[in-house]
Amino acid sequence: MEFTIKIERYNPETEDSHIERFTVDAPETATLLDVLDVIKDDIDGSLTYRKSCRMAVCGSCGMRMDGAAVLACKAPMAPYAESGEIPVISPMGNLPVVKDLVVDMAPFWEKFRAIKPYLDDGDAEVPVKEWRVQQEELDRIMKEALCIQCGCCVSECNSMQADPDFLGPAALAKAARFVYDVRDRGGKERLELYNGAHGVWDCTRCYFCQERCPKGVDPRDAIAKVGAKIYDAGMQSDKGARHAKVFVKSTYQSGYLLETQLVPETIGPIGAIKEIPFALKMAKAGKVPNPLKPHKAKKLDEVKRLNKLIAEQEKQQREAAAAGPSAGDDE
Amino acid sequence: MVRHDVVVVGAGLAGMRAAIEASRYGADVGVVSKLHPTRSHSGAAEGGINAALGNAGEDSPEQHTFFTVKGSDYLGDQDAIAVMCADGPGDIYELEHMGAVFSRTEDGKIAQRPFGAGGAPRTCYAADITGHVLLHVLYEQLVKSGVTVYEEWFALDLVTDGERCVGLTAWDLMHGGVQGVEGGAVILATGGLGRIYRGTTNAYACTGDGMSMAWRAGVPLKDMEFIQFHPTTLKSNGVLITEGARGEGGYLRNRNGDRFMYDYAPNAGELASRDVVSRSEQTEIDNGRGVDGCVLLDLTHLGAKRIMERLHGSRELAMDYAGVDPIEEPIPVRPGAHYHMGGVDTDLWGRTSMPGLYAAGEAACVSVHGANRLGGNSLLETVVFGRRSGMAAAQDVRSNGKGGVFSPAAVRVAERRIKGLLDVESGERPAVLRRELADMMYDNAGIFRTAEKLDACKAGVTELRGRYDRGIVIQDKGRTFNSDLVQAIELGAMLEMADCLVTGAVAREESRGAHSRLDFPERDDENWLRHTLAYNDDGEVRLDYKPVTITEYEPAVRTY
Repeated sequence: MEFTIKIERYNPETEDSHIERFTVDAPETATLLDVLDVIKDDIDGSLTYRKSCRMAVCGSCGMRMDGAAVLACKAPMAPYAESGEIPVISPMGNLPVVKDLVVDMAPFWEKFRAIKPYLDDGDAEVPVKEWRVQQEELDRIMKEALCIQCGCCVSECNSMQADPDFLGPAALAKAARFVYDVRDRGGKERLELYNGAHGVWDCTRCYFCQERCPKGVDPRDAIAKVGAKIYDAGMQSDKGARHAKVFVKSTYQSGYLLETQLVPETIGPIGAIKEIPFALKMAKAGKVPNPLKPHKAKKLDEVKRLNKLIAEQEKQQREAAAAGPSAGDDE
Repeated sequence: MVRHDVVVVGAGLAGMRAAIEASRYGADVGVVSKLHPTRSHSGAAEGGINAALGNAGEDSPEQHTFFTVKGSDYLGDQDAIAVMCADGPGDIYELEHMGAVFSRTEDGKIAQRPFGAGGAPRTCYAADITGHVLLHVLYEQLVKSGVTVYEEWFALDLVTDGERCVGLTAWDLMHGGVQGVEGGAVILATGGLGRIYRGTTNAYACTGDGMSMAWRAGVPLKDMEFIQFHPTTLKSNGVLITEGARGEGGYLRNRNGDRFMYDYAPNAGELASRDVVSRSEQTEIDNGRGVDGCVLLDLTHLGAKRIMERLHGSRELAMDYAGVDPIEEPIPVRPGAHYHMGGVDTDLWGRTSMPGLYAAGEAACVSVHGANRLGGNSLLETVVFGRRSGMAAAQDVRSNGKGGVFSPAAVRVAERRIKGLLDVESGERPAVLRRELADMMYDNAGIFRTAEKLDACKAGVTELRGRYDRGIVIQDKGRTFNSDLVQAIELGAMLEMADCLVTGAVAREESRGAHSRLDFPERDDENWLRHTLAYNDDGEVRLDYKPVTITEYEPAVRTY
């Protein structure tokens, strides 16, 4: 089958950058990586990209296809050949480009290291055999454990584009893997790492990470889980935590989001006063609801019942998690 | 130029485990790896890791030892196997304490399932992503240990002072340029060489670099002719479907729908040893009972729930690379080159014949796998012998002091060699030779071997080595991230290792484990119950032999 792709080339030594078009012959089952290999082997040996396992587990070959991150070894090419579309291949976003499709992963790993990426056993005495852990407890971190650190989520992260210091979806998903491991004793000290500036509350919830993750890790859900843990630990002074708190309170009270509560309770009364000119501008544009006549849901009692139910479920989950691992009884 | 007490080359499971242990013993450790550690091929291991925990039924390290010895077709060294099986449980518990998410039994212990020819449910697993889980856990511990990692540094050659190994030279891929890495001890943990075969399960990185470095430096390689063909790999690109699929109860069927394995292994059926299952599949295919060059791995009777829970990753691979959902229909599979039993000859502590040089993992041959490795034993080998070599290296450095002198000339020699490679302007592209090699090895040094085919293969490899030496063209002339250059150097290692493999195979006139000679169909203990050693004799492969260590178990007829 004949495949045509366009590749964003970049040579750091000549500073030349251009888009180059290649057409190659490859089997119908070819992935993007297979097509790149044919180009490198037979047409242009200087084409540069990372690869290793070609089975979506090593995480080497993250790159962008038509502007969205993919693992090249997991991207089938036949649909493109059939439709006649010519995809544009470019390096991942949010990381410095080194050459062609290779990016510098150093900032990525720096964030990985920043989240204390290992089990904190708190110097507890370990059992002679394994920690006794229920499968259901481990299931809570199995999604995050699937992560191959390919960087596809980071490539598409909107928050990181605005704030390059944002810990980002990959590192925070890794964080969730420890936060929810019943064997971990990192406690509040661990959570503190994720609570401050550039931490969980800086995620804009755009869900692009979740959309682009090739392994089903669901990093945004992981970030939410870490946020919940931080909140439950009583660490609620961050604007992000306060924001979440008002959301819940407001829906409980009215079944709706009360924007007029949201701002002052998130950023405080003084901050809110400073925002008055902005609020007036919004009001002029018809974007501010009448503060004297807040919305209220018709079936508010139903909302409240739902709220209660969720609170109960969460309580049960917390109790289960608090049980922790046991050292077993047969040493 | 950088210097460490202990330098580990390769950062898969064996390398990282070695580095962590050496660091625990107080050594200053540096890790040199051509890939970022988590990109290593250990992560592709799916099914599990063996240890006699006894969580799913009666078991003992002695049983584990016996079945491993039998699986090795009695070529494994029994003292080494006993060490691995005795140490196994402790190493597994340690991985669990590090945070490995092993699947669990009802009472919260580590779950275990049966693997081929194991004799008991002994394989611990994390669903079907065991290698991935362990690789990431060890990387976490490596980060915690503070060991220095030289990522994307491609190791070129060992440096010796004439007697001791004193370090190595490496090419810094990102920045270009040769780096000298001095070490009181060097541990090679560079993995296997599967890429010399077409249709391998191995990653592109598995090109035998570390073994070739040792061989060029005069260190013997052991049992190089033994390469395992895994029975269940996908046709399109050789991707592995775990043995766990059969461990969970999957069937192998031929084109008539028959479960043919009971014709070949009346007791074990689908769970016979890998060499037996691969030969049986190939026989079915060769006799016209295959389906498009494959047999069928049928999981449909396991049900969606079990497949989703235990074999989720395999299902995804089958859907991505074979277009088949195993919940609905069987997966076409065939044998593919998977694991190299041979490697750098070491003792029980990873020490090689060269002072200061150690090896562990698939790059080494202790030997615990002999002529055929059991599923689940390779991951175990990496952690047990990674740990042991790390400890030995750290202790040896402490007692021996700094070691020999690293001559800066070594760096200049390597730089000249690289320049020589880059200066070639006309000739063949490396890919041409690489494809020819892989085809030739698969066709002539595969599951079934004969003198005729092996002789042709030896001649072919010699010819390819000649073409390589005459000069191949690297089109990328730059210094930054020159993967064209690295792939060309890898090809050199692949050709040398193919030569060692084929030369050993030509000489071994018997059938044992994965080495199956149609012209010598029987095992011949009288003449061939011995290890092959391959030496570098001025670029040519010279063979020698050494005895197998037999302690408890006298060689017996091997049936399943």
